[in-house]
Amino acid sequence: MFSSTRSAAALALRVKPVSALIPYRSIAAISSSSSKPASAVTPHNASGNPSMSVTGKVRREVVLPSQEEKKGVMQYALTTLDQIANWARQGSLWPMTFGLACCAVEMMHLSTPRYDQDRLGIIFRASPRQSDVMIVAGTLTNKMAPALRQVYDQMPDPRWVVSMGSCANGGGYYHYSYSVTRGCDRIVPVDIYVPGCPPTSEALMYGIFQLQKKMRHTKITRMWYRK
Amino acid sequence: MHYQGDTKAGTLIAKDKFGNKYYENLEEELPLRTRWVDYKEKEFDPSQIEPGWHAWISYMVDKPPTQDPILQTGVRPWELPEHRPNFTASRGAFKTYSTVKPKIKAWTPEAAPRA
Repeated sequence: MFSSTRSAAALALRVKPVSALIPYRSIAAISSSSSKPASAVTPHNASGNPSMSVTGKVRREVVLPSQEEKKGVMQYALTTLDQIANWARQGSLWPMTFGLACCAVEMMHLSTPRYDQDRLGIIFRASPRQSDVMIVAGTLTNKMAPALRQVYDQMPDPRWVVSMGSCANGGGYYHYSYSVTRGCDRIVPVDIYVPGCPPTSEALMYGIFQLQKKMRHTKITRMWYRK
Repeated sequence: MHYQGDTKAGTLIAKDKFGNKYYENLEEELPLRTRWVDYKEKEFDPSQIEPGWHAWISYMVDKPPTQDPILQTGVRPWELPEHRPNFTASRGAFKTYSTVKPKIKAWTPEAAPRA
């Protein structure tokens, strides 16, 4: 008697035969969304105005900055003036060193003979009133933030800010700390972000090259003339 | 040559696909200044150097990628077909975008008239 019940229980527990499973047809059998073949989809500007862009605005052709032509004597003169001013600016960057943490050590390495920032005309200047770039190197804490803003406000125009390291970029490792500012761009406007923890001296130098590129492309007198 | 602020003479090793010219002078130059690049564009950027040439100019390898089959770029299936420089501060720069619904919405307040 026991043997017969045992065999019946074993049969009931056994997995049902394959025919009861979902027959393998395609993924459509288990998909809940309706099918949508590619031929049923209408392209965005098939029916409407063909001059509309994807976002629904009127399409506008913009020339590249390199394709902009100089028109007239005034533009030639102002472009040359801009080039001279930008050349002067990028050739003598005097950074205000705001070394706050380990990134400052890498910033010091930039001034050593291997990377030799003096050949680029970069001289560390301890006074904000005589400097035009501020390199924020390291973790900016909430306690230091007012001092940073004050130093930035003491710098004369034109001024730029290089945010160096992930702590200065966005808090980095200390993003969830109660006492650290989540990025120095909450305090001052930042031009160049140098990523890394800490960034190598080469990375900072590359950031400075990017800043010089940004200076080269600044339209100082041209924007003034446009106004 | 005009833009690197230095007067140098050396043998032309090769030109890469972009048009940068690479030079070498192992005898007369100081150490770590023996290999240099003459950029094609006036608005040059170190990221315009292709990866194989970057290895060569950084003294990671001895032979330039024209002579070293391992350093050939664009032959592996996972590689991009061409080298892309840094597009920062140009129109090709990456702009971040969000695909999720905005968590904050504006609404027009409708006050029910008081009885």
